[in-house]
Amino acid sequence: MPTINVTVNGERYEETVPERLLLSDFLRERLSLTGTHIGCTYEGVCGACTIHLDGEAVKSCLMLAVQADGHAITTIEGLRDGSLTPLQAAFKANHALQCGFCTPGILMNMTEFLEKNPNPTDEEIRHGLVGNLCRCTGYVHIVKAVREAAQSTTR
Amino acid sequence: MFPAKIEKYVRPQSIAEALAALGEFEEGDAMFLAGGQSAMQAIKSRMLRPECIVDLQNISELKGIDAAAGGLRIGAMTRYVEIAQSAALNGAFAALADAAARVGDRQVRNRGTIGGSVCWNYMASCMPAVVLGTNGTMNLTAANGGERSIAADDFFLGPLETAREDTEILTSVSWDAPVSKTGSAYKKWGLVTDALPVVGVCVRVSVGGDGTCSDARVSISGLAGGGERAPAAETALLGSDGSTAAIAKAMDAAAEAADTHSDMSADADYRRQLIRNLGREVAASAFARART
Ligand SMILES: Cc1cc2nc3c(=O)[nH]c(=O)nc-3n(C[C@H](O)[C@H](O)[C@H](O)COP(=O)(O)OP(=O)(O)OC[C@H]3O[C@@H](n4cnc5c(N)ncnc54)[C@H](O)[C@@H]3O)c2cc1C
Ligand code: FES
Ligand code: FES
Repeated sequence: MPTINVTVNGERYEETVPERLLLSDFLRERLSLTGTHIGCTYEGVCGACTIHLDGEAVKSCLMLAVQADGHAITTIEGLRDGSLTPLQAAFKANHALQCGFCTPGILMNMTEFLEKNPNPTDEEIRHGLVGNLCRCTGYVHIVKAVREAAQSTTR
Repeated sequence: MFPAKIEKYVRPQSIAEALAALGEFEEGDAMFLAGGQSAMQAIKSRMLRPECIVDLQNISELKGIDAAAGGLRIGAMTRYVEIAQSAALNGAFAALADAAARVGDRQVRNRGTIGGSVCWNYMASCMPAVVLGTNGTMNLTAANGGERSIAADDFFLGPLETAREDTEILTSVSWDAPVSKTGSAYKKWGLVTDALPVVGVCVRVSVGGDGTCSDARVSISGLAGGGERAPAAETALLGSDGSTAAIAKAMDAAAEAADTHSDMSADADYRRQLIRNLGREVAASAFARART
């Protein structure tokens, strides 16, 4: 079995993993970082498992853990640095989550989205959210939260 | 769901190393992995059970967009996100950016590659039809280092089928410089935003000095046979002035001639209507791009 070196949320890990282990399962079961959710088992369509791979939002259920060897990963657990990020605070203030199952994936995706696009229109925010399913909110409050986070950081 | 047992994972640094790694296994037992946005679904559902995975992520010679001398070459491992944002893809090549910007979602575009898409050639997919509509060429290297180039017309053989041998690697997709003012465009319709195309239409037109259409290629994605050209529309556009009426006539011809099918997404007549509507919009935008 191969040994991989990955940096997850700033910490270095050296782990021996079977080739077939999914990155999402590596994070959840090996590192006990269960904030990365699994919503659709294999289609790669729900976005709940979204993490950052070298700073970019990707679906961790569509990668093998061995593919992450040598890379830096951030999960929802690593997003918060002491206090809530502006996006997290905006989600809280705007009721942008109900059951919260989709929330980690949406925060990871939209955090990178706002880095690339700090001043988005509502249309761009909605387009950015296409890869994340939310069964509860109807997205309206999510869009509002992302907009507010953008305004609070670009002001 | 998770993959069946995989014996070996390798991450070569060059095309030659990748081909050598693949060659260590019986044909078909080792596979290349690009962005994994189609392959991982197939591996997890166990439609594919590779013994060895040859991950192409570190091969820098497979990456990048080169628009030298008016032509274009896109490395197989170039991701949708890079294609969607490339400033080089206007005019004749704008359809590539149209398609890439609307494939799936941000996460898919951050991983998925043009090479993976054309090699997979899924029935309802965007890039294969756009490469066909824009007359791209697939550049392949075999295990012995031999290179060959296959025009899109001969490369795409139907859903999940291409002219690539299992032992060949796709290195890039390339396009000749257009001879005259040329524009292209692509648009699809799916069940939800940016979903797989129920129908998509790609049009590439060139206009001569007198403003009439001197060359036209039209392709349709999402047909039962995958991406296919629409010769009836091409003939109708050729020599026309690209007016609204001429475009409508061409797209009616495309819709009539298309072998559309019925399934749970749409019935055959609805697909024909999609060809008309998308085709008009896309052709108008291709002409506008050719003329600027
Ligand atoms: C949620 C979701 C939505 C999607 N929406 C769309 C959509 O709207 N439109 C669309 O067109 N597609 C869509 N896709 C599919 C997507 O475009 C895939 O990225 C693409 O089909 C495969 O590219 P890849 O780089 O991920 O290749 P992989 O999945 O890694 O590989 C695909 C196949 O190509 C082979 N291969 C890859 N690279 C090479 C190479 N250089 N040489 C030889 N063989 C190679 C692999 O061995 C494999 O068999 C979607 C996928 C997902 C998960
Ligand atoms: S678990 Fe649904 S996209 Fe990964
Ligand atoms: S808050 Fe429940 S799925 Fe989004």
